[in-house]
Amino acid sequence: MTPSSVLSRLGRRADVGAIVAAAALLVVFTAFDFNGFWSFFTLLNVSQYTAILGLVAVGESLVILTGEIDLSVGSIYGLTAIAFITFAAPLGVPLAFLAAMAIAIAAGLINAFLVVRAGMVSMIVTLSSLFFYRGIIYVWSGGTADSLSKANRVEWLTNLLGGNWLWFENGFFLFVIVVIAFQLILTASRTGNHLLAIGGDSASAHSRGVDIGRAKTFAFAASSALAGFSGIVTVADQPQTHVTLGEQMELQAIAAAVVGGALLTGGRGSAIGAALGAFIITSVRYELIGMGAPSSWYITFVGIVLVIAIIVNQWLSATLRTL
Amino acid sequence: MTTNGAPLVRMENIDLRFGRFEALKHVSVDFDAGELVGLVGDNGAGKTTLIRVLSGLYTPTNGRVFFDGKEITYFHPKLAIELGIETIQQAVGLCENLSIARNFYLGREPVRHVLGLPFLDFTKMRDDSRKVLHDFGLRANVGADDEVSLLSGGERQSIKIGRSVAFKNRVIIMDEPTNHLSVREREHVNHLALQLRDQGLLVIYITHDIFQVHKIADRIVILENGVKIADVKSGEMTSDELEQIIREGGRTGASQEVA
Amino acid sequence: MSAQTASRLELFQLVKRPATSVIVFTAVIVVVFSVQTSGTWISQANMTSVLQASATLGIMALGEALVITAREIDISVGSIFGIGALVYLGSASTIGAFPAVILALICGGAIGAFNGLLVTRFKVSALIATLGTLFIFRGICYALTEGFSFTAGDQLRQSVAYAIFGGYEFFGYKDSILWLIAMVVVLHAVVFATPFGNRLLALGGNDASALSRGVHVTAMKWQVFVLSGILAAFAGVLEASKIGFADGSFGRLEELQAIAACVIGGCLLTGGRCSMVGAALGAFALTGIQSFLVLNSVQPQWFNVLLGVIIVVALIGDKALHAWALRRS
Repeated sequence: MTPSSVLSRLGRRADVGAIVAAAALLVVFTAFDFNGFWSFFTLLNVSQYTAILGLVAVGESLVILTGEIDLSVGSIYGLTAIAFITFAAPLGVPLAFLAAMAIAIAAGLINAFLVVRAGMVSMIVTLSSLFFYRGIIYVWSGGTADSLSKANRVEWLTNLLGGNWLWFENGFFLFVIVVIAFQLILTASRTGNHLLAIGGDSASAHSRGVDIGRAKTFAFAASSALAGFSGIVTVADQPQTHVTLGEQMELQAIAAAVVGGALLTGGRGSAIGAALGAFIITSVRYELIGMGAPSSWYITFVGIVLVIAIIVNQWLSATLRTL
Repeated sequence: MTTNGAPLVRMENIDLRFGRFEALKHVSVDFDAGELVGLVGDNGAGKTTLIRVLSGLYTPTNGRVFFDGKEITYFHPKLAIELGIETIQQAVGLCENLSIARNFYLGREPVRHVLGLPFLDFTKMRDDSRKVLHDFGLRANVGADDEVSLLSGGERQSIKIGRSVAFKNRVIIMDEPTNHLSVREREHVNHLALQLRDQGLLVIYITHDIFQVHKIADRIVILENGVKIADVKSGEMTSDELEQIIREGGRTGASQEVA
Repeated sequence: MSAQTASRLELFQLVKRPATSVIVFTAVIVVVFSVQTSGTWISQANMTSVLQASATLGIMALGEALVITAREIDISVGSIFGIGALVYLGSASTIGAFPAVILALICGGAIGAFNGLLVTRFKVSALIATLGTLFIFRGICYALTEGFSFTAGDQLRQSVAYAIFGGYEFFGYKDSILWLIAMVVVLHAVVFATPFGNRLLALGGNDASALSRGVHVTAMKWQVFVLSGILAAFAGVLEASKIGFADGSFGRLEELQAIAACVIGGCLLTGGRCSMVGAALGAFALTGIQSFLVLNSVQPQWFNVLLGVIIVVALIGDKALHAWALRRS
């Protein structure tokens, strides 16, 4: 393998932009705020929130690369978290986990059904789901906070999901496992091939025997499942519910996925990219906080990064592919 | 021949590249008013691409295009239509969600000014398109306000053709005009193409079917892989010979340019 | 053509008009809500607040409808709404009320122009592009209001401009409702009776065909984004005049409701099908339903649940209605 062929293979990756940006970011932070960024506290926070956002972003990536969009992940994140805590008291933690995940997956399947079978535009379907589940959250929780009982907080599963290991949140390690798993699914499995094939060119994918409906259903189910899982991990660590759990997380997840190289025109995306996208967004947020910048700057920053990222990624996709 | 002996359309050394893909390579061809030219070649030969340059959809990477002696420096369908270059294509040209009348005048809507503001002149739009419907024999219960989505493929083709005839055009480009048409409809279209030619228009007729077009064309131009490989008067070669050229992709060296 | 065929065709024409479903729906809920609340819902006291809220949401929805007709989407209108309100209130004491309104509209148009640039020049998908501007300008809204209070000063409140743009009351109704009606009339005429509108509908229905007929597709797409921005900013001005102040979260999540109003009103997300009346009625219906829930002491959060269901039902219902009409004609 010649250096130029390695470079061109690297250049063709969906997440090359994110990799370069993340690396550059680390360099910048190291240079300008070594003590601040590489402090234990910051690293802990960054890793934790990257994991939470990243789990959702990986799922969103899958949906985006099939050419669809899922706006409901924030609501499903919150709904699943509340379901988990509410069920934990009567059902015990393990069953509560299964029941909550079942709700998340069911929500994803409903989205998939409306998009694939009823032929409705995914933006509208998931927009409706966003409203619907957000409303359910409010009604269910009654606006009051709920939390896990003391006994349930020390349950083995709760600890597995929300505890610590080597000072890092378990959620972070689970996140890494999920990213590796989904990157493998995308690049090395038939399902992954199908997903990537659809976005690129639905018609030719169909003629090659790809069951578009099934692949999209998988994408939507995975997206909701990951969002739900992230919600459970969040409350396993900080076991209080509040009605605004997950509000606007869908927008951040989409931003992370896009930064990570997922193109809305489909056919391009990467789990690693989504993870790096989440990292980029999260680490800058904490840097901004650390620098004492007003919190409004974070949202503006996410917007600017999103716009730059999509322009760069689209250019990369068009140009480097022809090398 | 045009007024000063120059061709109506001159395309000089046209290159067209999409990224790394070369769709047209050094294509030079002239067209005159009052002739019917058959533009033939296999799939992907570049026929549609070439006329899309003429109709303003594509800007050539290199080369020059002249219309009526003047060089075209800006390529946009609006300009082409204003010059009188009308294209009739299969998949494109009508908007299903609009009525026949609206489609008819799309891009050059007639207006009445009310308090200085331009409002669509619905009466003129309806009357003119109704006339075309009548002349082209569409079903009796089809009205000018009916959505195009209600029409069959053949009827839509008739609208497009009627539209090209109704406006003062100088070039009519027909891209595979007889696909999916019945034998009778096909005859009608070919007859119309000849009529237009006789009226002094340039008619460019794109097709796969060399045998069919050989019967009506004055001249045949053959493209293969973005290159012009033949440009002959239809009297000079038989359709079989031409078909052979197409099949062999010009590899026999039969690149014949006869003015 | 037989009389039966003629009337069937007419029925089809009527039913397939985009606004038919929402007109029927609105009529039904007006009757049901009024009856169920023994007239309270439709009383002047309640209707004034409902109509005021509908007016600002409605104007945003009108701009959104234009973008949707062009087969694009604009989810930044909520942030533009906020910027419009803040720019207006913030600059009124310095440059005067009328100029402040103009400035707010210019800002809205500029943001819309930026959206248009991203979509047409950089070929970014409209969803992502306007998501980006949503973030950027929401952040700017928050940043502007940190430490600053944006209220309408006495000088502003007494100005003519303030009265014209949302501050004046007649019979308890703020004049923003008049603005909505005016906008509906004007935009309806523009879309259905001008060359611009014809080309807009065309490019939404089939942009390749529209381009082949000489329509300047990219220029028009850019223009609808600018219009959407101006209208959203205008809605912000009206709202700011109505309540007299604005904070950083002004307009947050309103873009989603604006889109919902359009969809309920019969605008197809795939473009080419538009109804200004529908979008305005959609906004009214949404606001009216919210009010109804409040009057019945239903937790307001049920509105979200209902909204999700309504949108899906509206889409399915519209498709079904269209298919039925097609079969019967």
